[in-house]
Amino acid sequence: MKPLLGSFRKNRTLWITLCALIIIFTLGARGLVDNEAVGGERYQDVVITILRGFSTGSIIFLVASGFSIIFGLMNVLNMAHGALFMIGAYVGWTVFVRPDTAVDALVPILLLAGGFFLIPLWDRLLNKLKMPSWLMKTWPWLGLILASVVLIFTLPKYPITSWDVGSYQISPTNYAFAASQGQLVTPEPKQFLGISPLLGLGGILLGGLLAGITVAGFVISRRPATAGTSEGKAFPWETLSLFLAIAILGLVIHYYNTPISNFLLGLDSTLLFILAILVAVGTGALIGILVETTMIRPLYETHIYVLMLTLGVQSIIIEIVRSAWGSPEFTMHRPSIFAGTGEGCPAESLGAILKNNCSTIRVLGGRVRTYNELFIPLLGIVVLVAVWLLLQRTRLGMIVRAGVQDSEMVEALGINVQKIFTTVFALGVGLAAMGGVIGAPSTGLTTTLGDSLLINMLVALAIGGLTSYPGSAAGALIVGLLQQFVIKYGQIGINIPFMEEPFKPTPPLVPALTVFLMVIILLVMPQGLFGRKE
Amino acid sequence: MENTITEQNGISLFFKNNLGILITILCLILMPFVISLIDGQSIPSLLANESGQSKFYQGLAIEIFILAVFALSYDLLFGFTGLLSFGHAMFFGVGAYLTGIMLKSFGWTLLPILALLVLAGILMALIFSIVLPRVKGITFALVTLGIAQVFYIVIQSREMADYAGAEIGLQGVTPPEFLNPIEHRLRFYYIGLVILFAVYFLYKRFVDSPTGHVCVAIRENEDRATMLGYNTFYFKLAALTISGITATLAGGIHGIYNPIIRPAIASSHFTIAALLMILIGGIGTLSGALIGAAVFKLLSFFLEKWFGGASQVLIGLVYILLVLFLPYGIVGTIRARSFRWKQGWQRWMKILRFKQPS
Repeated sequence: MKPLLGSFRKNRTLWITLCALIIIFTLGARGLVDNEAVGGERYQDVVITILRGFSTGSIIFLVASGFSIIFGLMNVLNMAHGALFMIGAYVGWTVFVRPDTAVDALVPILLLAGGFFLIPLWDRLLNKLKMPSWLMKTWPWLGLILASVVLIFTLPKYPITSWDVGSYQISPTNYAFAASQGQLVTPEPKQFLGISPLLGLGGILLGGLLAGITVAGFVISRRPATAGTSEGKAFPWETLSLFLAIAILGLVIHYYNTPISNFLLGLDSTLLFILAILVAVGTGALIGILVETTMIRPLYETHIYVLMLTLGVQSIIIEIVRSAWGSPEFTMHRPSIFAGTGEGCPAESLGAILKNNCSTIRVLGGRVRTYNELFIPLLGIVVLVAVWLLLQRTRLGMIVRAGVQDSEMVEALGINVQKIFTTVFALGVGLAAMGGVIGAPSTGLTTTLGDSLLINMLVALAIGGLTSYPGSAAGALIVGLLQQFVIKYGQIGINIPFMEEPFKPTPPLVPALTVFLMVIILLVMPQGLFGRKE
Repeated sequence: MENTITEQNGISLFFKNNLGILITILCLILMPFVISLIDGQSIPSLLANESGQSKFYQGLAIEIFILAVFALSYDLLFGFTGLLSFGHAMFFGVGAYLTGIMLKSFGWTLLPILALLVLAGILMALIFSIVLPRVKGITFALVTLGIAQVFYIVIQSREMADYAGAEIGLQGVTPPEFLNPIEHRLRFYYIGLVILFAVYFLYKRFVDSPTGHVCVAIRENEDRATMLGYNTFYFKLAALTISGITATLAGGIHGIYNPIIRPAIASSHFTIAALLMILIGGIGTLSGALIGAAVFKLLSFFLEKWFGGASQVLIGLVYILLVLFLPYGIVGTIRARSFRWKQGWQRWMKILRFKQPS
């Protein structure tokens, strides 16, 4: 009892604010129960609204947690996080709906990425060479030009099967529906356009190698002379073997393209969904590593420039998505385990869901969708616990927590902070991409997906405290609940005094209310609910 | 007698200090005529505002002037006072929409609208300043982003559609007769030019004043400024108010000039555009804001014209390259290097005069 009272005294404002929030939500729920428009007491509306709030909150949390750890550790405000969420959704959609296309696209990506894994080797070799300074400054540019020439020549000639943006544009909804029914007509794999396969594959590999050398050159020429080089370390065999493994993997996938595609097309959609999540997380992590090492690393000291840089990355990503997938909206169907509508549905109990793979379950007489309102919140809680364990129980987590407190001190203690930074950045972006795939079946896919999420996420973080991990969870939950309550009230109307008709806010007005909550909370607690006091 | 001498000194000093800007003004005054000469358009037809290359480039220049005023106001706020606001586009948007709505739905004339814009600018600065004493740095940016986002959502909402035209934007505003951007574009051009450089010189005066120096001190180290006995809140509020009024007025000109007022000018992207402009030009330099606005507009215009849809990728790439390779902006880099250039130039002159370099 005593420690509880002590913590209450210490964080009086926090407890009072939390109590006020709980009272507001209880009043809101009470208002829904006594809904005059429907008549009688309806508890199921409250339950469904709260579950939906948890669902929205989980998606926001998946994105916000990564953002907040990155901001806390590296002081980088990653404005591209929303766009990375979006690209996760699009990549996941592609793997889920068109696995054959994903397999086709995998080969050039693997071959290109292989070259980047050789950067430590080039770094070492170039340090050994001791070239004159003018050559050191000019040759990365030469490498850049050569790499782009090779890639411009070979990359467009690589055949990616039936990447037909035109057919989505006619009716993307029908397309996704046909795909979910398994009626998709998959065309024959195409051949290389105009050049022999050997030349094409070799060209892409060479382009990747040249790009890797270029990046290594830029990294060396920008590194201050006093910084330690990789001199004296053992020969980086592991990077060489990694490169060889990736290149060979790419070639094998190219050779066995058709069997792999057919195997994936025959898979159950639940397995494909899991695969989609894994691929999206991998893509996100790869993009994260690439952006962090090549662009953010030279600019750690100047935060405002990093901000601008991430904005540039954001606009590039959105434009790439727009050109590769086209601008129409896509829908993504739920995996088969959550899509059953046959006998025994809607399910009456939790066991019945597992037995019949029901898409809905009956709760208090209302229907609750298993994917949107049960699976997503559950997954959010799983990720919450997993990342919390990672932060509290592992060495990496310990370093990250110490870095959030004081990153210079961690560096002074002899820990390779750069490696930690890259890992954390990749982890954060991977989480965001995962949020994209998970959220796609309930929100659909648009190129503006990232924008609205970014605002919600920033509001959630400002409410919860910018660099606090529990704060990001609490903020996301509050924002999600508030949004769903406002949407629900928008359907039945709010009785405002001095107005004749009940006020019915349109859905676009919903984010405005969360912003008001943010301003009020920041006035009471400028550092957010769980933020560190300065 | 002495009085006139010091006055002359003052004027010549002013000319010496602002040589670059004055030359730019002269070039801009002559620009419509020079372009019409190149295009083969006669002077009377130019004065009668007949269509041609000159009229087109006048329009482009007017848009640059509006953007430059906006960038200047953002530079005062962020570059000099160090207040990172993500909601600055709200001032611009309110200015544009108020002008449009008052002209279209209420039939006001320009002078009352002008007074209203100033009032609105002060009011919004006061709203922003509610959180000013409590939150700092990135949290202030988030709060301003939130407030501006509310305005952006409201202006697009169906509830406001009768006045603001929802997602499409406000159409059908009839500008006052003597300022019609189509029939009297040359006049509009010169008025825009006068407004831009009036704002520029006023800002220069403000930045060089003791108040401006305190603002810079707040940017550099707020705790120390507080320690020296300044109530930093009032200085921040002053900067916010001045910058807010300027941005609102810029929005007002935008509302008169453009046939459609789109909601995009109130979005956070527009604030970020202002941030980009001053980053391109150089943070904390007034002339950098002008150059940045010109580069930004011309770059996005010509990339759009030449590459169409792919221009967004190229613009993004240009930003990344700028940040990586020209981190102090154009003016900042020139200032950092001009000392070295000056030394090199002097050495050359000495060699040309057959003197031994000392």
